[in-house]
Amino acid sequence: MAAPVDRSSLTGGDTARPRFPWLVLIAALLCVSLLGVVLLEGRQLLRLTTSLRNGSEQRVVQVHRQQIEYLQLREQWQRALDDSLPLDARMLTLRYDIWVGRMTMLREDSALRQLVSGDDATAVAETLRRIDAFVARADPLFTGRRTPSRAELSALHGELVALEEAMNDLALNAAHRSSNELTQRHLTLRQYTQLTIALTAFLSLLVLVFAALALRQMRQLDQRRQALESLAEELRLARADADAANQAKSAFLANMSHEIRTPFQGLLGMLSVLRESGLTARQIDLLRTATESADHLLAIVNDLLDISQLEAGRLTLMPVTVELRTLLQEVEALMRPQAAAKQLALHLDADPSVPEHVVLDPTRVKQILFNLLSNAIKYSERGTVVLDIRPRHADLGDELEFVVTDTGVGMGEATIERLFQRFSRADEDAGAAPPPGTGLGLEISRNLARLMGGDIEVTSRRGEGSRFTFRMPLQRAEKPPAPPPMPPGAGPAAQPLHVLVAEDHATNRQVLAALLESMGHRTHFVADGDEAVAAVRAQRFDLVLMDLHMPGSDGIAATRAIRALPERRAATVPIVALTADAYADTRERCLVAGMNDFLTKPVRRDNLGAVLRQLFGAASGAAPAGGGEPLRSPLGEPAEGRTAPLIDAATVASALQVLSTERFGSLVREFLDQAPATVARLRAAVRDAQPLELRVHAHAARGAALNLGLTALASTAEGLQNGATHLPAHEIARLVQRFEDLLPLTRTAAQQAGLLPEMAPP
Amino acid sequence: MPTRRDCLRFGLALGPACAGVAHALEPATGPVVLTVSGRVMTPNDGQQANFDMAMIERMPQVSFVTRTPWYGQPRRFTGPLLREVLRRAGAQGATLRLRALNDYRVDMPFEDAQRYELIVARLLDGAPMPVRDKGPLFAVYPFDSQPELRNAVYYSRSAWQLRSIEVR
Repeated sequence: MAAPVDRSSLTGGDTARPRFPWLVLIAALLCVSLLGVVLLEGRQLLRLTTSLRNGSEQRVVQVHRQQIEYLQLREQWQRALDDSLPLDARMLTLRYDIWVGRMTMLREDSALRQLVSGDDATAVAETLRRIDAFVARADPLFTGRRTPSRAELSALHGELVALEEAMNDLALNAAHRSSNELTQRHLTLRQYTQLTIALTAFLSLLVLVFAALALRQMRQLDQRRQALESLAEELRLARADADAANQAKSAFLANMSHEIRTPFQGLLGMLSVLRESGLTARQIDLLRTATESADHLLAIVNDLLDISQLEAGRLTLMPVTVELRTLLQEVEALMRPQAAAKQLALHLDADPSVPEHVVLDPTRVKQILFNLLSNAIKYSERGTVVLDIRPRHADLGDELEFVVTDTGVGMGEATIERLFQRFSRADEDAGAAPPPGTGLGLEISRNLARLMGGDIEVTSRRGEGSRFTFRMPLQRAEKPPAPPPMPPGAGPAAQPLHVLVAEDHATNRQVLAALLESMGHRTHFVADGDEAVAAVRAQRFDLVLMDLHMPGSDGIAATRAIRALPERRAATVPIVALTADAYADTRERCLVAGMNDFLTKPVRRDNLGAVLRQLFGAASGAAPAGGGEPLRSPLGEPAEGRTAPLIDAATVASALQVLSTERFGSLVREFLDQAPATVARLRAAVRDAQPLELRVHAHAARGAALNLGLTALASTAEGLQNGATHLPAHEIARLVQRFEDLLPLTRTAAQQAGLLPEMAPP
Repeated sequence: MPTRRDCLRFGLALGPACAGVAHALEPATGPVVLTVSGRVMTPNDGQQANFDMAMIERMPQVSFVTRTPWYGQPRRFTGPLLREVLRRAGAQGATLRLRALNDYRVDMPFEDAQRYELIVARLLDGAPMPVRDKGPLFAVYPFDSQPELRNAVYYSRSAWQLRSIEVR
């Protein structure tokens, strides 16, 4: 089992939600911080740009140049006063102009003036005033045409020299101020850089937190995904467990249903014996009630078997080509008495465009139609029950539609909704006394219809009758059912086998013996499973043919016992099952029990030969030469408008390949000779209202007749077997009468076919 | 086809081939206001090329208005391009050393004269510049049309009271 899932991690969505605002908060902080950095850097860029454009660095140089130019002027002035040198008036004028130009700049450039003023603006104003005064007196000396005289220059020299301290102050002021400004600027720059670093660090931290949260989120998502995956795995396992349990339950139910039927038949036998033992009328009455209950119980068990097969998906449809008309006639034959008993009209109406031959599973289609028609009759007190059959063109291909319409009590919507549910019954709101039945019929029918690829739908209104539509895919068959193919003729068996046959039914034993001996094999017969196990221990056999239903231990149990034998030779003998029911799960059970293959009754030369060939190679399943011409007319002629022929030519032909005509004839005669006794038993069952007993006898008669190819007898017996539990007494009596009537007809047909060479009336 | 400038640039190597193309610089007749010395190929006075104001006036004149750190208002400057002056002198080198009347000195790459519309301004707002107002010649970059020039490096290369250029 998977580890228990951590629920809290699965419901993590609740705890993850409050984290969402955190992410938003961090994202917002990131944005704000980034914006801060951008603003800071932008401001700094602006300051730098302004500072660059202003050329403030350049001004400091200018202040220095100003002092130099003053000193150069003073030196030139000094030299002009020196008598030993010639007076260079041009040079002095140049120096004077340069200095005055610089002073003009100082006055006009406010930034420059600010730079030189330092902290004391008034001192600079005083200096500028003094300079102006000097320039006002000196200008006339230089701007005029004449050359200034030494005397004039000397008069002003003192004033020029007196300006030195002021000029020096200007330069110093500028130096200090510029130094301060530079320091201030660097401090600001440092502050900005610090802020930027702090912001960047903060940003980095935020990014880290963001990444951590994202990582955590991803990890949680991953964990949640893993938890979900493990939950899905757990659910898958749980589902597999549940499926297995359900399957086991279905298998158990199927097995139990099957097992219940066997003791039930014993019970019915005992009841019939009891009835013969001279009971009082009161006791016979009690016995009838008991038999009715048993009958009901058997119907339930049969339904349960169907349900469990359907649920387990083990019910396999066996579609064959059938003549639709025959099928409908069989349905009608069974239903008409029921309808007549309630004085209801029953109409079967097939559309002319319905194909004659179709491929379907006749048993299951009939089962559905029986159910629908039975219900229609059951819930109608007067009027008509109609079965319409028509082809219908649907999107996914043609469909065959069976519509059962009645004029009965109808149903309300609530009932319709519950109609196909298990154990639901339409009479809950009809107020009528519940007729017998399990309530599983409609569920089974619908499941069968769906299994066929169709469905059953219903429309109804209370008091206005109901309409059930059963539709299934229409599969047309161009040809009538073909007789089984003949196996290719060949020489006598090259490999004679020693075959053990475990079979409790005498007729079947004789058929198998004849079949196997004709193929050149030796046979040894036992009547039940225990004997089979003993025989395998005692002798060496090449093959065991094992009937599944035998008194004592059945075929499955015997097979298990054989496979468990200590002797290797005995334990490994090939075993082939013989059974009348062809359910896939029966086959599966056989194979699981250790059987090698599976033969469906009636055993014919071709299917037996196929199995032998598969197990032992080509020669073992070959037929001897001279099998004879298959019998045709008059055996295949329908008698009295019945659809089933009296004798099935194909089965007879198949049998005659392995049996001499005399031998087969004696089997047929034996059956026909014993048939009156069978009729007597059937009559007794009808008289005593013993449907289960009736069914048992009919089943036995059907099996034997089928093996001998006496089709009409077999189908009548089948009608009795199927209808035993639900057909009204007079209808059953009619079927028994038909069976009896068929006996001389069949005998005549057999004689005409040359199967009964001498007349041997009973 | 080699342009005149190509001839100048490769003048040392192709001297005889370009000699006929380059016009010889006429001598200065008035007072010399600008001297181009150093690697000068068409000197008019020994090893150097002397210019009087008339020669400067005769060169193609360029005029632009720009803001400067030295004047509160934008001013119009007019004069020949420095590269024209250098071409006339047949100057060829990597660095120009500018000197001013006030003994100011600054170096600029020879490339500056080629790359920028750098003029040797002789007029300020249409009037000649006296020494008192940074005259008579003033090397001015077009600061307003090329923002990358607006910093202390180019401000310092703008020499006023320009007196001489040494080509190195």
